[in-house]
Amino acid sequence: MKAALNSGLLRRLGRQYFLFSLLLLILGVIINASLQQNFFKPIALVGLLRTYLPLVLLAAGQTVVIIGGGIDLSVGAIVSMVNVILVTRMGADATQSQVLTALAFGILAGTLAGALNGACIAFLRFQPLVTTFATTSIFAGIAVWILPRPGGSVPDFFMQPYRSAPLGVTFPLWVILGVALIWWYLRSTRFGRYLYAAGGDAYAAYMSAVPVEWIKFFSYVISGLMAALSGVLLTMSIGTGSALIGLDMTMPSIVSVVLGGTALSGGAGGVIGTILGVFILAIIRNIISFANVPSWWQTLVNGLVVMLILAGPGLWALIRGRREA
Amino acid sequence: MNKVSLSAQHLVKHYGGVVALADGNLEVNAGEVMTLVGANGSGKSTLGKIVTGVVAPDGGRLLLNDREVVFRSPQAARALGIVAVYQELSLVPRMTIAENIWLGHERQGAGAILRDTEMRKKTQELLALFEGTTHNHLDPDLPVASLSPGEKQIVEILKALSWQPSILFLDEATASLDSRQVNRLFELIHEWKRQGMAIVFISHRLDEIYRIADRVTVLRNGRTVAIAPINELSQPELINLMIEGGIAARTNGKQPGPTQTEEILRVDALSTTTLRGVSFVLRRGELVGLGGLQGQGQTELLLALFGAIPYTGRIFLHGQPITLHRPQEAMRHQIAYVPGERNTAGLLPIQSILDNLLLPSWKQYGFPLRIRQAQEDATRVTNVLKLVMAGLDAPVNTLSGGNAQKVVLGKWLLRRPKILLLDDPTKGVDVGTKSEFYKILSELRAEGTSILFYSTDDEELLGLCDRVLVLHDGKITADLSGERLVHSELVAASMGSSA
Repeated sequence: MKAALNSGLLRRLGRQYFLFSLLLLILGVIINASLQQNFFKPIALVGLLRTYLPLVLLAAGQTVVIIGGGIDLSVGAIVSMVNVILVTRMGADATQSQVLTALAFGILAGTLAGALNGACIAFLRFQPLVTTFATTSIFAGIAVWILPRPGGSVPDFFMQPYRSAPLGVTFPLWVILGVALIWWYLRSTRFGRYLYAAGGDAYAAYMSAVPVEWIKFFSYVISGLMAALSGVLLTMSIGTGSALIGLDMTMPSIVSVVLGGTALSGGAGGVIGTILGVFILAIIRNIISFANVPSWWQTLVNGLVVMLILAGPGLWALIRGRREA
Repeated sequence: MNKVSLSAQHLVKHYGGVVALADGNLEVNAGEVMTLVGANGSGKSTLGKIVTGVVAPDGGRLLLNDREVVFRSPQAARALGIVAVYQELSLVPRMTIAENIWLGHERQGAGAILRDTEMRKKTQELLALFEGTTHNHLDPDLPVASLSPGEKQIVEILKALSWQPSILFLDEATASLDSRQVNRLFELIHEWKRQGMAIVFISHRLDEIYRIADRVTVLRNGRTVAIAPINELSQPELINLMIEGGIAARTNGKQPGPTQTEEILRVDALSTTTLRGVSFVLRRGELVGLGGLQGQGQTELLLALFGAIPYTGRIFLHGQPITLHRPQEAMRHQIAYVPGERNTAGLLPIQSILDNLLLPSWKQYGFPLRIRQAQEDATRVTNVLKLVMAGLDAPVNTLSGGNAQKVVLGKWLLRRPKILLLDDPTKGVDVGTKSEFYKILSELRAEGTSILFYSTDDEELLGLCDRVLVLHDGKITADLSGERLVHSELVAASMGSSA
């Protein structure tokens, strides 16, 4: 009787794949607020949102690929590529139409990059890890070729929306809301269902008339598009260009997905968790910088904390299993 | 439903140089159950795959309602009403029952948003068909991963049904169902027949074939050798048609078991999450069956004795208490476990037969490994098992199902186990391989190996075992031997009646 009650409750809790992430984020916020006096002041929160907004989009695209049973190591390089395309095609005195052309070029480049990954992996059956590792060099190489030295600038009116707050709500929140809504829609369509099926068991999906190859292809196209949009936001935020700017964002994008409760094995999880995951990562970094950790240890501490959290559920199960045995 | 008829004529299929199907014929009409029988490698599955559009034939033709058709994919066949039930292959474990059933033909509403409520309701209606035959109540929102093999098979059947087929292929669909679920399926088949559905039924269980079939198609070595009404063929005649040379070598190898040999294993009040206090004794050279409905704790009992899952209770080996916390400990005590799901638990499919056979035994071959000695031992085992293979270096996934299952057994035979735990080893294995398997078991017993044998095939338990322990809800409800070892007693105990 008690067991039945327990299993029913657990099952309902278990259905919310991001529950653990949500609890973690709340815990992080509590710790952070106790260390940082002005944490709940708009200025601090908005700063945090602005810093991590590009990563939210990047990780959202990464989530789609990972649910579909793949991984995309090239997203950071795509961000770089889009960033340098934007600054080289704009310049400080660009007109509105020049900005729009630059945007079109950047977004197209990112989408095509994703399509290249997708075509190699879905139709030519290359390994996702190896393929996207290789295309990372290609995209990063193109970025360096376009802009060998960091620099360049964009017009003010291009950067302005990033700092705006339509209807009193800060711009990053609108974008995050948009991402969440688009994800909700995608999940409620066949594409969403097929994505989970293809990542969960590609053969079973194939036998059920799911166009597995196309689904995988489009998961990489979406990832490329999201990386391009991430590059656009990053450029709006910093206003200058560098061929190396996105490379450090790849690993955080994958870590955010996992922190958000999406399994690397595919077929489970979702973007809502990933959004939480990005902010868990942000809070961890914030806490470390406010906890007076010497700066040369920060990377190490950051890595250890992330590892502990990722190992958490597994360790918990292990300890419980011991006790029962 | 319209009246349909499907006729496959002189189908040919080559895989490289191998002829999988030389002259395959099959026909089925609305309102009848046609069964397709044949030993492994007879071309039965190739014929099924061609007719359901999974593979394209190299020759011959397919007539649907007297018109020639060509299927380029399973979807093309499905569009014309030909739907196959696969053996748990088309379910995505992490998705729910409802999501799985409608996968590939979801109902869409405005803005391409899926109509989940409607699909869930339809799923409930489908699940109601098997209401009362499953251990747990099946809810459309349950993930498929949490279901037992029998329940998964039911979902697979309902998934096929959701396509509203006019011709339904049931390929070993009863293999993981218990007798109650099989009975329900057969009731449903009678109903579908009455509505005009045509059904092709493939099964290794002869009694089921005789219960449900109207006609039978017999395949041997890639050729259809007979198409006949089932009531014109006796069981020995049917088996003779399937086996080359025609000698009905269906000796189950049942010998008078050892009566009062020494006690090897004593299990006292063994409990796990599923088992509730199981006690029994296993003697030297004894073959004890585990029976009952699916998922009553039989597999858990074997896994606990192999140290693979935690348990409470006491286990004695030769009168000495032992603890089994992990499989290595069980192996040290010469206890071996042969899993039923050979593709997932028993074998490394892309590794060679040699590597698979020797995986648990490399320790015996020193450092550096004495490869020649290992090869000789492996050859000896493959001879004992009569393994049909290209060579010891061939990967396991080139073997047929029955032969692959022999490798799973063979890898433990090399370790000369005292106690062999068999978890439904003959599931989906053809009659010929089965009887060889039985012979191997009786040789092992003669050498003094004690065997605990779980099978979902009642006939097999009755024909092979000295004793059968029947499990129900994690308890032993009957210990059948001698005159009590008959089908009626077994079924009664399976249903939990201990009389």
